[in-house]
Formats: sequence, structure tokens, C-alpha cells
Amino acid sequence: MRPAAIALPVLALVAVLPAVLSGYHVSFMIQVFMWIALAGSWNIISGFTGYVSFGHVAFFGIGTYTAALLITKAGWHWLPAGLAGCVPAMMLALVIGYPCLRLKGPYFAISMLGLNEVVRALVSYFEGFTGGGAGISLPPIEAIVPVYYAMAGVAFAVTLTTYLILNSRFGLRLLSIREDEIAAEAMGMNTARLKLYAFLLSAAFPGIVGGFYAWYASHVEPLSVFPLITTITMIIMCLFGGSGTVLGPVIGAVLLSVLQELVWARFLFVHQALFGALIVAVVLIMPRGILGILRQYYPLPRSI
Amino acid sequence: MADAAAILEVRDAVKRFGGVTAVNGCSLSLAAGRIHGLIGPNGSGKTTLFNCITGLERLDAGEIRFKGRRIDGLRPHRVARRGIGRTFQIIRVFPQLTALENLLAVTEAPIEQARARAKELLEFVKLTRLKDEYAGNLSYGQQKLLEFIRVLMTDPELILLDEPAAGVNRTLLNDLLAAMARLRDEGKTILIVEHDMKVVMGLCETIYVLDYGEKIAEGPPSAIQGNERVIEAYFGR
Repeated sequence: MRPAAIALPVLALVAVLPAVLSGYHVSFMIQVFMWIALAGSWNIISGFTGYVSFGHVAFFGIGTYTAALLITKAGWHWLPAGLAGCVPAMMLALVIGYPCLRLKGPYFAISMLGLNEVVRALVSYFEGFTGGGAGISLPPIEAIVPVYYAMAGVAFAVTLTTYLILNSRFGLRLLSIREDEIAAEAMGMNTARLKLYAFLLSAAFPGIVGGFYAWYASHVEPLSVFPLITTITMIIMCLFGGSGTVLGPVIGAVLLSVLQELVWARFLFVHQALFGALIVAVVLIMPRGILGILRQYYPLPRSI
Repeated sequence: MADAAAILEVRDAVKRFGGVTAVNGCSLSLAAGRIHGLIGPNGSGKTTLFNCITGLERLDAGEIRFKGRRIDGLRPHRVARRGIGRTFQIIRVFPQLTALENLLAVTEAPIEQARARAKELLEFVKLTRLKDEYAGNLSYGQQKLLEFIRVLMTDPELILLDEPAAGVNRTLLNDLLAAMARLRDEGKTILIVEHDMKVVMGLCETIYVLDYGEKIAEGPPSAIQGNERVIEAYFGR
């Protein structure tokens, strides 16, 4: 089977890397895995169904607070605490997705943007519980290699989930919604339910990523875990690689992370401007991303 | 009026858009296992009536029954699952899905069965060669055929076709007409909106004529052709 032939060497490489990399590079890889998982999660709702979520970082942020509270107040180990981040993230997705997924196009995008602001404001407001604007400090992290493996695991899980979805009729139906929701509905698809399932899946993983991130960063605060730029980065990485594909978010996350590391660190003051220019360029020149361009010339299977 | 063999009954349907009454007290009773035609000048409410039947639009008054049960007010996918399939006047295939994927996406049947049925239908409209091509890359006529077989994938009892012949070449059109006749012989009921009078008159057993949202005539083709109100609606006084 070809996908396994690609996945196994990559997984083996990921497994041995910490033995040869410096601490700095292990940290860099954690960031890469984090972005693969986040961009991949965004892809599951927005790349597949076309419902653009501008508030996806809310699920990440909820995950960070869940883990931080479980670790500091309930004394949980970081691993189950991080995994538990998916529970409130999915609950939030259920509550917000049920009404908002009925909104079309830009209205859904804007409602999601509002969601993130509401969640951030609430977290800041309940000071006694969340530490308000100052946030929550966690015990300092001793070893980052376990976080490396945990984050790699989430990145792999997201990619595998995407692969399985795209190879199922559930995936074809999500794509049908993106292509023509009215026709999909008229053909007997319960589009509201399909969108909600996709939304729940796409919210679960950022919750877990956030959970691990809280432990890794040792500190969570509203401004650092609910930034709009995180959502925008997920979107750009996904679009750059190719949305609605399995490997698009992976390619986008890896290339842009490396690019950021190599180039933008050297242009500290203009890197935001470069990032903005990249957004414009991607949308104008290659709206379907790298895989979209390749697909025009080579008949790539859905499983790529 | 309550014809025992009627599969679909529309009673006094009314649909308004702002100040425009698109469907105005329209009633139809479709006998099962026949091909029916729905004709009328542009803007006479044919597509709106289709949309009301399939749940894309909500009726303002009246009721619609399918096999005796009310279907007005149901969401479109529920209407579809009851056994009503449709095509659209403006093609609505899923462009970034391949022809084969377009077919597989819409059926609940076990995947092997779905694949077999899709293969059969693709062969039937001679699209087998293009099955892995994106639907958006097919020609207009080919997309029309794909939409036609896509609705057949859901195995509906009642099929609503909105201008199936428009843009399809003569050879394919003959195949399409033969296909419709065969579906009827299998017991399906078909309602066609069509401007091509040769198609309508040759195929339909009963024809309903709409004008300004009202049904102005109903009957076999021979009666419709000579009907004064119909001639007036099409050509003016």
C-alpha cells in the first residue's frame, strides 16, 4: 500500500530525530508538529466543507486552559491533561456549531471571529478561576522530548484522520457541501449533521494541541493563547499546501515553518509585512495551493 | 380528486416572493408510473414549483403529499430520502469531484453495490472513459448526463427533471428519451420541465401548463396543443 510506504519512513525518522537534534531543533520540531496539527484541523472543516473558520484558535485556547487548570488545580499528569483539552473544545464546537453552521459564507466566518473574542473575554473576566489577564503559571518543564513525541502523535493523528475521511463517502459528502450545498441537500445528504461532525472533529485536535502547548510553554494567558494570528497562520499554511487534501496542510506547515525560521528571523521588523505579502500572493497566484497546482498537471489520487 | 394511484399530489400551492406570487393556487395530481410534463412561458413558476416539491422553498399556503404523506415543510434531504430526486435547470454537479465521486457521494448503498451501479450508469450514458475526470472539466452536455445519472443513483420513485434536453446533442437526446421511457416501464414516475415541444409532446402522457403561477391547462398532448389559453400564454393574444 502506497500511503504506508510514505508514512512509515517518515514516522521512523520522526522517532529517531530527538536522539540527534539539539534542544533548539527539538523545540523547532515541536512547533512544526503543532502547526501540522492545527492547519490539518482547520482543513477538516474549512478545506472540506468550505465553511471558513476564523475562530479556530478558540479551541486551541480552551485546550490550553483546560490542561493548565487540570495540572495546577487537580494535580493531573500533563499527558492526560493535554488529551482532556479536546473535551471542552468539542463541547464549545457543539454549542457554537449547531446554530452557526447554518450561516452561509462570510457570515459563518464572522461569527467564528466573534466566538474567539467572546471566549477570550470570558477567560479574562473569571479572574478567580483563570488568573484573569495574568494567566496561569505551570511548573517548569524538565524534558521536552516527551512533548515532542506527544505533539508528533497529534500531528500524525490529524493527518491519518484526514486520510481516512477523504477515502470515505463521509469525505466525499463533505466535499459535496463545499462544491454545492443545495445540490448535496437535494440529493438526500443531511448537510447540517455532516457539517457538525466535521466541525467537532476539527475542534478536538486543536484542544489537544493546546493542552500540550500549555505544558510546553509553562504559562498560559489570554493574549498569548487566543491570538487571531494563530488562526490566520493555520489558514495560510493549509491554503499554501493545498486545502481539501491530506498532505496539503503538512506541506504548508513544514515549508512555512522552515521559511519563518530561515528568513523571517533575519528580518525581525518586516517579517509581519512579509507574512502579509505571502497571504496576498497565495490567494492571488495559487488559491488551490501547491498540491492544487500539481493536480492540474498530474492526476493525483484523493489520498494525497 | 384524490386519485388512488396518484404518487404526488399538490393542492392549492401558493408561493410568494415579496410582492410576486410565483406559484398561485396550483394543483397537480401525478399518476404513478407515468411521464408528466410541466410547461409554460419563462417565469411562469415551473422551477419554483419544483423547489417547493423538493423542500428548497417553503409553501405559503396549500399542501403537498407524496404517497399520501405530507412532505411540505420537510427539509430537502428528508424529501429526497422519501424517494423524490431531481436535476436542476442550471447544472449543479460537484465540479471538483470526479464523475465517479459525484455518483458515489449521493448513495447510502453499500460501497460495492454503489460502485457496480455507478459503473452501469456511466456505461449507460457513455461516460465510462471520463469517470476519473473532474466533473467541472466535462462538457455542458456531459455534465447534464452526469447530473441525470446522479439522481438515478439515489433510486428515487419520483424523478423531477428540470430541462433535461437543453444543450444535449441529438444522439444523446435520443438515448436520454429512451432512458426515461425505460424508467417509466420500471415503474418510476417522472415530471419534466422542458421547452423542447418535440420532447414534451412525444414523451409525456399528461401535460400541465403554468402561466403566472397558475395552472391554465391539463391534459394529454393532443388536447394541450389545441388549447386556446395555452396558445395565448405562449404567443400572446
